[in-house]
Amino acid sequence: MIEFKNVSKVYKTGTVGVKNANFVIDKGEFVFLVGASGSGKSTLIKLILKEEDATEGKILINRKDITHLKQSRVPYLRRSMGVVFQDFRLLPDKTVYDNVAFAMYIVNATPKHIRRQVPMLLSLVGLSNKAKVYPHELSGGEQQRVALARALVNNPSMIIADEPTGNLDPETAWEIMSLLNDINLRGTTVVVATHAKDIVDFMKKRVIKLENGFIVSDKKGGYDSEI
Amino acid sequence: MKYNIFSYLIGEGFKNTMKNKKSTFAALSIMIATMIIFGVFLAIIENIDSFLTELEHSQAIQVFMTVDTPQEQIDKLRNDISNLDGVNSVQFVSEEDAVNIMKDYFENNEKLLAGVEDIFPPSFLVNFSDLTKSEEVQSQIINMEGVSTIQNSNETTSALLGVGNAIRLISAIILVFLIVVSLFIISNTIKLTVHARRKEISIMKYVGATNAFIRWPFVVEGIIIGVVAAAISLLAIGLLYNWASTQLMSSVLMQRLGIILVNFTDMFSMLVVVYAILGIGMGVVGSMISMKKYLEV
Ligand SMILES: Nc1ncnc2c1ncn2[C@@H]1O[C@H](COP(=O)(O)OP(=O)(O)OP(=O)(O)O)[C@@H](O)[C@H]1O
Ligand SMILES: [Mg+2]
Repeated sequence: MIEFKNVSKVYKTGTVGVKNANFVIDKGEFVFLVGASGSGKSTLIKLILKEEDATEGKILINRKDITHLKQSRVPYLRRSMGVVFQDFRLLPDKTVYDNVAFAMYIVNATPKHIRRQVPMLLSLVGLSNKAKVYPHELSGGEQQRVALARALVNNPSMIIADEPTGNLDPETAWEIMSLLNDINLRGTTVVVATHAKDIVDFMKKRVIKLENGFIVSDKKGGYDSEI
Repeated sequence: MKYNIFSYLIGEGFKNTMKNKKSTFAALSIMIATMIIFGVFLAIIENIDSFLTELEHSQAIQVFMTVDTPQEQIDKLRNDISNLDGVNSVQFVSEEDAVNIMKDYFENNEKLLAGVEDIFPPSFLVNFSDLTKSEEVQSQIINMEGVSTIQNSNETTSALLGVGNAIRLISAIILVFLIVVSLFIISNTIKLTVHARRKEISIMKYVGATNAFIRWPFVVEGIIIGVVAAAISLLAIGLLYNWASTQLMSSVLMQRLGIILVNFTDMFSMLVVVYAILGIGMGVVGSMISMKKYLEV
């Protein structure tokens, strides 16, 4: 599903983002990316999204080598994954419904399919009654749920989330994480970069830990488990 | 492209025009200003053109043949002159025609013409399609067999033609300059809109939108602004032109000179085409130029 082979990313400034990363994430897995600030979590996610190009090594997504993917093919790569960010990234002048439907227009879904799919996803994230509301009228947790609905609406095979609970209070963070867990239980691969130590410890998922760009631990269990 | 995505993108373009009222208004004003100035110059050029064409066609020379030139010689001359470069038309004036013209002229004093009937030689009235070739044509004609003299029109016309051509050229340069300047301004205006919406654009890219999908609403926006600007400019220039030409036509000087201004309806279809190309072109090119930078996420 996602495979990194000796992947390194050195930024133009000379800063090392990720060094010599090797791992395989299989279909249906739930993986946490943890590590101190600046350890390379976001860099790793950007490599998966092809927002940044690896300076070394090989990245395979769904068995396809994306290391040298043409710029014009990148949108199609991104359609195979749903993306969620700390700052939600909703379109401010579109309603909740349109924010989710928008992702379907991009892939040229039929109106009929859109009318069926969007309410279904909104109900999945518990926002059926907020369809006509604008993002600024929602709480942070609700906005993140909209982002999740948008990420899921085209039935991607994986969800990639970079600190999805970073801007949320602990209780709401738990809600979002359990929602991600539900999504994972339905068969979608989930990769989450996070600082939420207690949640990671509690959920007992696979944890990839980064330090200064190096993967220092990769095992099932809690935040601090050693190799 | 399927109907669904197509209508979605056009709808987005319309929404954007309404949403960004300030920049829409700015782009619209600049386009209208450009188009009206453009229209004014176009009207000037059109009138100069029509005046010069009129002048060129009215500047005939008369080529006299020797008396009693045989018919086959006349036919040959007519053919040869017609084939010269710069000649528009050749009209034969027979000896009888010449006499009749004279009779008309001296209608009350026919006695004056008594006995001179056979003095009038046959001639050709030669019109030019390109007056600048006049001298060249004349020197060629004078060497043809059977031609005796050429009666020439005055010299001032060629000076006038020179001035006219200079004005034409200057106006054309100004027109090109105007287009370049407004293209620059339009693309900057759109750049501002795009800049204001760069976050939206990057979000679209994360969700997997192609560059074309992101660009289309902006292009539609540009086209809408262009078409609206064209319509308003057309109306404005029409009113302006009619008002100005009424004023000018009633002036004594214009009547003296016998200048007749081109009718606006004669320029209308040309203006529509020019404005449509200008409006749509500026919209499309402007948005293309200004989008480029923001699509590289
Ligand atoms: N565009 C960039 N240009 C240069 N250096 C960068 C760039 N982006 C990240 N870095 C550097 O790469 C290293 C890893 O950054 P990254 O954003 O991956 O960390 P992170 O683990 O996501 O941190 P955080 O938890 O604070 O989000 C840092 O030293 C950072 O300064
Ligand atoms: Mg980060």
